Amino acid sequence: MPSKQELPILCRPTVALGLEGSANKLGVGIIRHFPRPATKTDARPPAQILANIRHTYITPPGEGFLPRDTAKHHRSFVVELVKDALKTSGLTPDDIDCVCFTQGPGMGAPLQSVAIAARTISMMWDKPLVGVNHCIGHIEMGREITGANNPVVLYVSGGNTQVIAYSHRRYRIFGETLDIAVGNCLDRFARTLQIPNDPSPGFNIEVLAKKGKHYVELPYTVKGMDVSMSGILAYIDGVANDIFSGNPRYAEDGEIITNEDLCFSLQETIFAMLVEITERAMAHVGSQQVLIVGGVGCNERLQEMMGIMARDRGGAVYATDERFCIDNGIMIAHAGLLAYETGFRTSLKDSVCTQRFRTDEVFIAWRDD
Amino acid sequence: MSPDLSTLPSAIVALDLTLISQGAEAKIYFSPDHPFIPSSLLGGAISTTISNPSAGYILKYRPPKRYRHDALDAQLTKHRTLSEARILYKLFLAGISVPSFIAVDPRLGLIWMENINGSSLKEWIWAREREIEEQLCDEGEYGQSQKRLEIIKPLLLSVGSEIAKLHFLDTVHGDLTTSNLLLRDGRRLGAEGATGLHQLMVPEPVIIDFGLAQQSTLPEDKAVDLYVLERAFISTHPIHSGEYVEWVLEGYVAGFGRGRKTAVFKVNEIMKKLDAVRLRGRKRSMVG
Repeated sequence: MPSKQELPILCRPTVALGLEGSANKLGVGIIRHFPRPATKTDARPPAQILANIRHTYITPPGEGFLPRDTAKHHRSFVVELVKDALKTSGLTPDDIDCVCFTQGPGMGAPLQSVAIAARTISMMWDKPLVGVNHCIGHIEMGREITGANNPVVLYVSGGNTQVIAYSHRRYRIFGETLDIAVGNCLDRFARTLQIPNDPSPGFNIEVLAKKGKHYVELPYTVKGMDVSMSGILAYIDGVANDIFSGNPRYAEDGEIITNEDLCFSLQETIFAMLVEITERAMAHVGSQQVLIVGGVGCNERLQEMMGIMARDRGGAVYATDERFCIDNGIMIAHAGLLAYETGFRTSLKDSVCTQRFRTDEVFIAWRDD
Repeated sequence: MSPDLSTLPSAIVALDLTLISQGAEAKIYFSPDHPFIPSSLLGGAISTTISNPSAGYILKYRPPKRYRHDALDAQLTKHRTLSEARILYKLFLAGISVPSFIAVDPRLGLIWMENINGSSLKEWIWAREREIEEQLCDEGEYGQSQKRLEIIKPLLLSVGSEIAKLHFLDTVHGDLTTSNLLLRDGRRLGAEGATGLHQLMVPEPVIIDFGLAQQSTLPEDKAVDLYVLERAFISTHPIHSGEYVEWVLEGYVAGFGRGRKTAVFKVNEIMKKLDAVRLRGRKRSMVG
């Protein structure tokens, strides 16, 4: 009988180790894909998640994470996390088919530290490397978990804001932010308010926003299919600083505008912008499904607004929870394994990571619809 | 499409409306009746700017978005409806070929305008292309398609010149496609400068949907407007898009540059920008 490794890849289960470290989250995941049953050509059995471990670099209130310190965090924890992941999965390095890592986009220094770890593991264990586009990781993981087959994707995180739809073997960007990402806007406003970065600034804004009652009018900047966030941030920062310096603002009912009201208004405004451009993309491509991925995708108010819009169009919204929304290693392993199964490999000399790596640069060999 | 009356505001729910298209932001209804002039008086006792009352009317409705905060929704609906109505009315007064503006209710998000009873430029080009193909098959004259294509040219020249007039007034459309250009029968075009019988047959292009339009003096914005139209030609009429775009731009330059020195200067700047926009595409590299 031939040994497991000699069977053609699509006839046996495959296992990938994924390393993610494009921002302040270091993630290690192990995933197993099963072959398509010979009788059915369309359905692949769901992937099996063997380990999904994450460690987040958290900074004090009022401070963001700097590339150098974040890279140091990743370097300090990566060995421990890989060991942990192997232990959780109960596998040995021999069981793994390929080592997947985030090649971009993201912050340079953290990306590099994790790429070095991936190269080392690949050479140590003698396993092929697979470089993965971070955005593709999010999209493919979202599709796998939710079962949405061809959705319009809203990818919202600290570094990215894009509306994406699949067409002819590419994930094409229909609309995106013209300046800062939505998560960046929320994080920076959290710094202005000096609220904690633990577990994440966006989560703390969401908690505050739930207590907000008064809507403060903010700029609303949708330009065709694109959005712009920097002006809104500058405006609301101004309002907040005004309030801190002892010039309270009043709502129409005479009550003082609070931090909670500001968080509420900021969320209402920028999420409405995101839902609007997503709806435009849905009308354009004639799709009924929306998939929200990325860290900001955890936000329940965003999910709720998107759900109302999708239902009004006779469709549905698909979202995942924090295990898969927030950056993680498992999505890198999943997207990497999909590429690996089509024969894709990243040679050592091509394993350089890049801060700028657009979603539409990746050829999607594993989809043919 | 069946009338979808469930979501209409009560002020117009009693009207005889037919939903004819639905975009992401607005619904377009057809109405046989004028919003406030009884049909018995139209064209008789009361004269209007509507050239053909029997063609009916269009109601553009921006329904409230339930996902948005009420205050934000009200503000956006009012602002966008008003802005679109203002631009439409301004262009109409300036003599640009757009549907005649009739009425607006910014709070309810309603705009009434004339119905252009004609096909879109997209359908018209497709029909001409089919005709040419059939003729060539019948007559067996291959290699003649280029010559036959010339019958499309006069219309595209006038499309270009109409866009030029729009841009000359520092208005950019924001969503120029071959579906947003409708064709009215060639009555009015015969009046100015028709030299042959075939030119009388050229329909008049009408620009519609100013939902994304804005005022801008920047050559950049106008170049992007032209680039969007160019992309629309490439995706909808791929085989001859090269010629089509060339003719539209020929009409554009001629329409813009007619007479004044400053206009010639402006149009040169826009064409230079268009080359730059083409090179970079619309999308920048990922940052942020």
